[in-house]
Amino acid sequence: MLFSLEEVIDTISAVGVETFDIRTITCGINIMSCADSDVNRCADKVYEKVVRVARDIVPTARILEKRYGIPIVNKRISVTPVSFLASAFTEPTAVPIAKALDRAAKELGIDYVAGFSALIQKGFSRGDQILINSIADALCNTERVCSSVNIGTSQAGINMDGVYRMAEVVKEAAQRSADKNGLACAKLVVFCNAVEDNPFIAGSFLGPGEAEAILNVGISGPGVVRAALENSENLSIGELSELIKKISFKITRTGELVGREASKMTGIPFGIIDLSLAPTPAQGDSIADILELMGLERTGCHGTTACLAMLNDAVKKGGMMGATYAGGLSGAFIPLTEDAGMCRAVSEGALNIQKLEAMTCVCSVGLDMVAIPGDTSVDVIAGIIADEAAIGMINHKTTACRLIPVPGMKAGDEVDFGGLLGKGPIIAVGKQSPKKFVTRGGRIPAPVHSMKN
Amino acid sequence: MENKKEQVVITVLGISKPGILAGITRAIADSNVNVEDVSQKIMQGYFALMMMTDFAGANCSFEEFQNRMQAVSDRLQVKTFIQHEDVFRFQHRL
Repeated sequence: MLFSLEEVIDTISAVGVETFDIRTITCGINIMSCADSDVNRCADKVYEKVVRVARDIVPTARILEKRYGIPIVNKRISVTPVSFLASAFTEPTAVPIAKALDRAAKELGIDYVAGFSALIQKGFSRGDQILINSIADALCNTERVCSSVNIGTSQAGINMDGVYRMAEVVKEAAQRSADKNGLACAKLVVFCNAVEDNPFIAGSFLGPGEAEAILNVGISGPGVVRAALENSENLSIGELSELIKKISFKITRTGELVGREASKMTGIPFGIIDLSLAPTPAQGDSIADILELMGLERTGCHGTTACLAMLNDAVKKGGMMGATYAGGLSGAFIPLTEDAGMCRAVSEGALNIQKLEAMTCVCSVGLDMVAIPGDTSVDVIAGIIADEAAIGMINHKTTACRLIPVPGMKAGDEVDFGGLLGKGPIIAVGKQSPKKFVTRGGRIPAPVHSMKN
Repeated sequence: MENKKEQVVITVLGISKPGILAGITRAIADSNVNVEDVSQKIMQGYFALMMMTDFAGANCSFEEFQNRMQAVSDRLQVKTFIQHEDVFRFQHRL
């Protein structure tokens, strides 16, 4: 027999009991060919191209789910940053493009479409201005469109004007979607060192260095890692790391298989597999649960950063062996509301925003799905974004903020965004103002790339 | 000339009782799917059966086969998993 019964049951129970799935197949589509000075004509072309190129994604995913018995939870699309196209628009709005993308997603049965994005690490182009001014409107008038803006890189430094402007946009998006607890902000990411091939939402876009169309795969799998660690009581750190590497390898291989086959069936080249452990609100599918099985009383206690660093590194080491091309964000995600264990840690007072920020130094991807009090000022939001960006800039890694200042709510209240976005407590933020610093204007100069201490 | 194989792993799990193997293999034969290897155990009181099959000569689509097997499994009160062998090869073989 090719496989032992134990091996087969190992694979089956990963799906049935331990909530293993492929989180997403994301089809990146270059929409530069849709350029037009008339935004509505451009929107029509974008709709036509996206529907044409991505037509087979959802049916293909359905066939692969059946063939391998592994759920593919989301089917997504990412496009070229829309700000590139917006530079040509006579009328200063990009909202019709967002609406066209939303229509295309609905037509195709796609869960999310991302790339309503701009790259402003060194400054604003006309297209960037148009796009950023359209974000709140676009997110409040569409269901499936996601937006991201890159405000810093290790090479360019941090655009502090961009940081402040994005803090204003976050606040505006929250207020304009107050009836849904500021849900528009759950679809908006502010990045430092954004990657061009990220399959994960909301920060996905097809970078300018990418091909005409590409398929990227994002895996999931915290539940599988957690299940394996349940009998790890007596393992040393080294043995623990080995165990995580092996699980990560298996998870990644499944993503690799799905990516290769999806590419073969659609004729769209396979780009990368993103080796991230992406949690969901489902019971047990939690990064915090893993950290606690590794020996923390509660996530957020002293030792959490070290524990997470080791987990993140082991996931990458195991996954890289399993993937032909690894890319994207590749690391353990620690979103708040999407991870029931993380929320428990905040509710019990074990985890605060300062510790969360420290944790983002050693894993992907930043302060993700963090609900903060609705009365948090633009200045404080800008300060939080700037801190997170600085961590990314200095450490040559991607960091991001997906902050939701939930209108009318205060620290300790509970917010529910529904579905994969989850629910959880509002986390307290600092009261003192960084106003003077964040409103000075200009850029934080690019950091020294030597003398690394 | 021999046709290209399409190997599919069928796994059946449930509470052990007479007739499971007979019922499952009857349904597989009805779909003209060829059983190439069988491994069966009672694991902690549970019936666990795994079959390596060749689907290439089947008289129905993969999805239809899954539906047929689902109906039989429901009647026998067992859980059946029908998966392409690639997924096991990718996970368990270098």
